[in-house]
Amino acid sequence: MSLLSDQDRQVVREHLAAIQQPVTLLLFTQSIGAPETALLARQVLDELASLNELIRVEEINFVLERDRAEQYGIEHIPAIVLLSGDQDTRMRFLGAPAGYEFMSLIEAVLLAGTNDSRLLPESRALISANVTTPTDIQVFVTPT
Amino acid sequence: MARENAHIRATCVEATEFMDLSRKFRVTGVPKTIVNGSTEILGALPEDLFVRTVLGLPETDSPPNL
Repeated sequence: MSLLSDQDRQVVREHLAAIQQPVTLLLFTQSIGAPETALLARQVLDELASLNELIRVEEINFVLERDRAEQYGIEHIPAIVLLSGDQDTRMRFLGAPAGYEFMSLIEAVLLAGTNDSRLLPESRALISANVTTPTDIQVFVTPT
Repeated sequence: MARENAHIRATCVEATEFMDLSRKFRVTGVPKTIVNGSTEILGALPEDLFVRTVLGLPETDSPPNL
């Protein structure tokens, strides 16, 4: 069953048409005792992948594939890691990307699917001049 | 910002699903941004101000008028 209406699917499909390179959504979850939201996360990602052939979903077992969880620094599930081609974009989502977060996920997929950060030239210059050590940004949001 | 620089990692956290993280960072309203586990940004800021705050820079390049 689709989570989006036909009309919304069309809007998102048009939005995602800007993608130029493959985007992989790595979903970290587990088969036994996974949070309910993990299933919703999978549905959301599958729906997104159905709207553009360059998007694919890969589910990773958080318990059995510890090395991959560590590779991407994943400590909680459900977690989503966005890859551009096979490169880590360092963009992550914790929790099911439903509601408000769904729009953020679409934007993140667009960023991963292009090589443009879409930041202002001034922002790019500031980042280039000032970021020389690991910087971790966590944005807390709610679905509504 | 993560797309712009390989040192930056950006995580969007669903606050109600991860109450332990929300409590740890005292999230009482959203959006709330935490940089390197300490710097806090409450609410949505214009891009230039957000970038400057994340990077720990003053709000403008010019000295304040006192």
